[in-house]
Amino acid sequence: MSETTPEMPSGGQEAVPPWRDIRVLGVVAQIAFVVAAVWAFAWIINNVLDNLDTLGGNQFLCRDGSTSYRCAFDFLRLDAQFDITETSIAYDPSDSYARALLVGLLNTIKVTVLGVILATILGTIAGIARLSSNWLVSTIAKWYVDIMRNTPLLLQLFFLYFAVILAFPPINEAIQPFGLPIYLSQRGINLPSLVFMPSSAVWAAFAVLALVQAQVLWILLGRREERTGKPINRIRWTLLSLIVVAMIGWFVASAQFQTQAVLVPQSLGVREYDDLETVMQRRLAVDNLADVEEAVANGGLTQEEVDEAAYQICVLRDDPAETNLTSQLQRQNIPYVVQRSSRQDQATEAYSQGSCELYTAEKATLASERSALPDPTLNRMITVPERPVRVSVPRIEGLNFVGGAKLSPNFAALLIGLVLYTGAFIAEIVRAGIQSVAKGQSEAARALGLTESQRLRLVVLPQALRVIIPPMTSQYLNLAKNSSLAIAVGYDDLWRISFTTLNQSGRAIQVFLIVMGSYLALSLTISFFLNWYNKRIALVER
Amino acid sequence: MTNLAHNLQTRFLGQRQIHFNANVFLREKITRSWLLVIWLFALTLVTIAVTRNQLVANPITTIIVLVLWVVSVVWTVFNEVTRTHTSITWWLRNNLLNSITNIQLTLVLILLLIAFFRGFFSYAVVRATFSTDPDVVAADQAEMEEAGVEPGANWGAVIDNFDNLMVFRFPRDEIWRVWAVLAMVAALAGPSTIIYSRPAFRRSPVRRIMTVLWLLSPLVALFLLRGFGLFENLLPVLNPDVAWGGLLLTLIIAIFGIVASFPLGVLLALGRRSQIYGIPAWLTYTLTILLAGYFLVTSTPDNLEAARSLTEQILAFWPLLIVLIGFLFQRYFNGNVVALFSTIYIESWRGVPFITVLFMSIILFPIFLPPGVEILGTYRVLAATALFAAAYLAENVRGGLQSLPKGQFEAADSLGLSTYKKYRLIVMPQALRVVIPAIVGQFIGLFKDTSLVAIVGLTELLGVANLIAAQPDWLGVRREPYLFIALIYFLGSAVMAGYSRRLEARLGVGER
Repeated sequence: MSETTPEMPSGGQEAVPPWRDIRVLGVVAQIAFVVAAVWAFAWIINNVLDNLDTLGGNQFLCRDGSTSYRCAFDFLRLDAQFDITETSIAYDPSDSYARALLVGLLNTIKVTVLGVILATILGTIAGIARLSSNWLVSTIAKWYVDIMRNTPLLLQLFFLYFAVILAFPPINEAIQPFGLPIYLSQRGINLPSLVFMPSSAVWAAFAVLALVQAQVLWILLGRREERTGKPINRIRWTLLSLIVVAMIGWFVASAQFQTQAVLVPQSLGVREYDDLETVMQRRLAVDNLADVEEAVANGGLTQEEVDEAAYQICVLRDDPAETNLTSQLQRQNIPYVVQRSSRQDQATEAYSQGSCELYTAEKATLASERSALPDPTLNRMITVPERPVRVSVPRIEGLNFVGGAKLSPNFAALLIGLVLYTGAFIAEIVRAGIQSVAKGQSEAARALGLTESQRLRLVVLPQALRVIIPPMTSQYLNLAKNSSLAIAVGYDDLWRISFTTLNQSGRAIQVFLIVMGSYLALSLTISFFLNWYNKRIALVER
Repeated sequence: MTNLAHNLQTRFLGQRQIHFNANVFLREKITRSWLLVIWLFALTLVTIAVTRNQLVANPITTIIVLVLWVVSVVWTVFNEVTRTHTSITWWLRNNLLNSITNIQLTLVLILLLIAFFRGFFSYAVVRATFSTDPDVVAADQAEMEEAGVEPGANWGAVIDNFDNLMVFRFPRDEIWRVWAVLAMVAALAGPSTIIYSRPAFRRSPVRRIMTVLWLLSPLVALFLLRGFGLFENLLPVLNPDVAWGGLLLTLIIAIFGIVASFPLGVLLALGRRSQIYGIPAWLTYTLTILLAGYFLVTSTPDNLEAARSLTEQILAFWPLLIVLIGFLFQRYFNGNVVALFSTIYIESWRGVPFITVLFMSIILFPIFLPPGVEILGTYRVLAATALFAAAYLAENVRGGLQSLPKGQFEAADSLGLSTYKKYRLIVMPQALRVVIPAIVGQFIGLFKDTSLVAIVGLTELLGVANLIAAQPDWLGVRREPYLFIALIYFLGSAVMAGYSRRLEARLGVGER
């Protein structure tokens, strides 16, 4: 029996001709692809150049009057010449286009950051409500999610802006929900705000210190827990120490740093801050200023008399000194009227002409302004007690709101719309995340004897977050991109200002490059941070 | 005394026993933690405040609700402590009254819901006007205001503009074309439900024919809605910029967007995942260095000389970027040009807002075309929608491709299938089936996003709704059209979402 070895196929040994070699083919095809892409690109560029001649030659105008492609972006230095109603940095129509675009970018960032924070809070609450054991709560949450997700955001924004916020009552009939110091009117939404006084810097330093020591304490307690095996309520002790240090900082800052003062004429007979109250008591002839309101109601005093007696205060517009003084006067029921000037010297002028009796500002400012008065010695400077942070409550004065924070109708509509819309999507993500943690995990945690907070913190949340974070990233990105719908409600975001710039300067290509670049950069920043966070969380798993 | 208690007990409880320990209840349900105490206290305050508020606003309903609530709570608690639940109290105990918090929340929410629906009903029906005659509406509203009632919804504006909301300026003589398209879709959809669900048709030519018909239907619809020069008398050519509007335009954009983006999206997804042999590193580096060197010699010195600032001086060395790009290209894409191009395309479209893309199609697109060539605004928007949707679709399809186990690819290879056949017969059917729900979701998103074209001046559903407020007859009437189109969007999206859920369920357990 002769053995025949089966002939082995010799494929692979033979040289593949180059026109059938997949590597050669691939490379050739890709080079052809590149050539085609470059050719298409060149075709577009060529068209653009042809069209630019018809569009007008000033597209590439340099400052010296010549024309060069190198000057494509020189128009950014020209005066913008349009007004922006909402700015977070100083801006004037005589500023450059570049500055205007920066204002727009900051506005976009503002609405995005606020929107992300609020939408996360709302979405988490709604997501948990979706899982509530109360049938009503979960049903309402479900309807909220369904309605928001199944109607277009733009429609919601239009509805909010035109049919809700612009339909609010005029300012003198402003709605105050639940009697809170929040006013809803045609002018938008006015809320109480925090005003930071100069001494808040000192307090902030203490707050940083408190954070650092709390972190250290947290780690130390954790080590001790590991060493001794005895559970310590780390959260309680850390929070306690945090609060204690922060409170010490508060008292130090309020006791040691008194930067605010008020300038009064000698004739007023006020030697220190508390005299303001006694002088007013004498003027109104009452023992207790709290009785004034009652006396007006009874007819013991007329409103005119009270208005006559009220302190006239001169102050620079938006000066924190105003909040510092008036919030105390309000507490002591001392009537006052504020005159705001737009420049410091105008305020001084008003004071020196006697149109007001009190002039409040920072001590250093007041000292120099006093020396500018005709007769400095006739005026006394009195220190006003200062707290690092004061709450400024909006009030209606005449036909305007004074104090507090103001959300314009445009901003309010955009922010609320974005938050409600994105919140619905986040709610579904949170629900899915929580449901993704197997029931056995919770049961195992309970069987191990973990407390409820430990179970949530150490078992459920880390596992749920791994599911939640990636889709959450794309929701945050969507929110950032959706903020460009601001143009529909007239909020001056990046896109709206770019559009104005485009219309005014005619530089379509350059403006689109800037806008696209900015949004891409914004998107990349958000996804970079969340990917980084996601990686940190993923490390928790084995 | 004991007798009385005994009597009461036999009277109400019979053989049942009370299982209730006040101490345990207090400890577990109220004083468990001080946070819970504060929360319950605050919630009680809110409950009392809301109840008082509603008692003043509409006393009768509130009293009825309160009585019902008290009865159900007492009944449930009684059945709970005696462990004798009926099916109703068992449901109540589990779903509405399962803790002190929920007992209070239930009352508050019922009262608020009643208040909300009363208000809405009063606005939308009781105080509303339905006449399409603006004079009658004005008279009715004046009458209401005289009686001290704020006038409610003005539905006449919507009824009067119903045709406009549907098709806007589509010539009314030619409206049969829209009906014809609808009839065609209905004629296709009816048999489809049977043909695509019965296994008997799985390999039959009927199913193939149906698929071909479906693929042809958008063309036929376009043919009908726009018209061609061939049958000028029968089908006059319409200008889409004028004739298309309202819900019709919304649907055209959404459907065109998803259909036209499909081929490009699939190609991009395949491109991004492609493993083809890239341009070798030596070739890339040689080419980039040669190019960079060439430009460094020819362009940089001139630019340096003409530079007006430090930035421009630095920018003069731009050819170095070519080398950097070449390096990154090799490092992250292994020289794969297709993957590079697909990735750049997908990420740059996904990184920018749709609204800027739409504006780009309106403002920038004409600049990209040769002078003299003009394309209608509607077509530009359609093209932009399709290009934009393709990037998102590509990511969905990529998800489907990634979900396929490697074995499928290897099996196809070992069978000796060509690349085309591998994808056509093995990969794509499975990958696409997995992502159908995601694509339906994307379609819903696109359907909603079509509303953005209202900002660039096309009058789709939302654009028409905005125009109603500018009509002299219905000046400033916004709420009603908005609510109406919100309903259209909601129903459309909800139906599709429901379909997607059903599909998901079927595919999950289905024939695989």
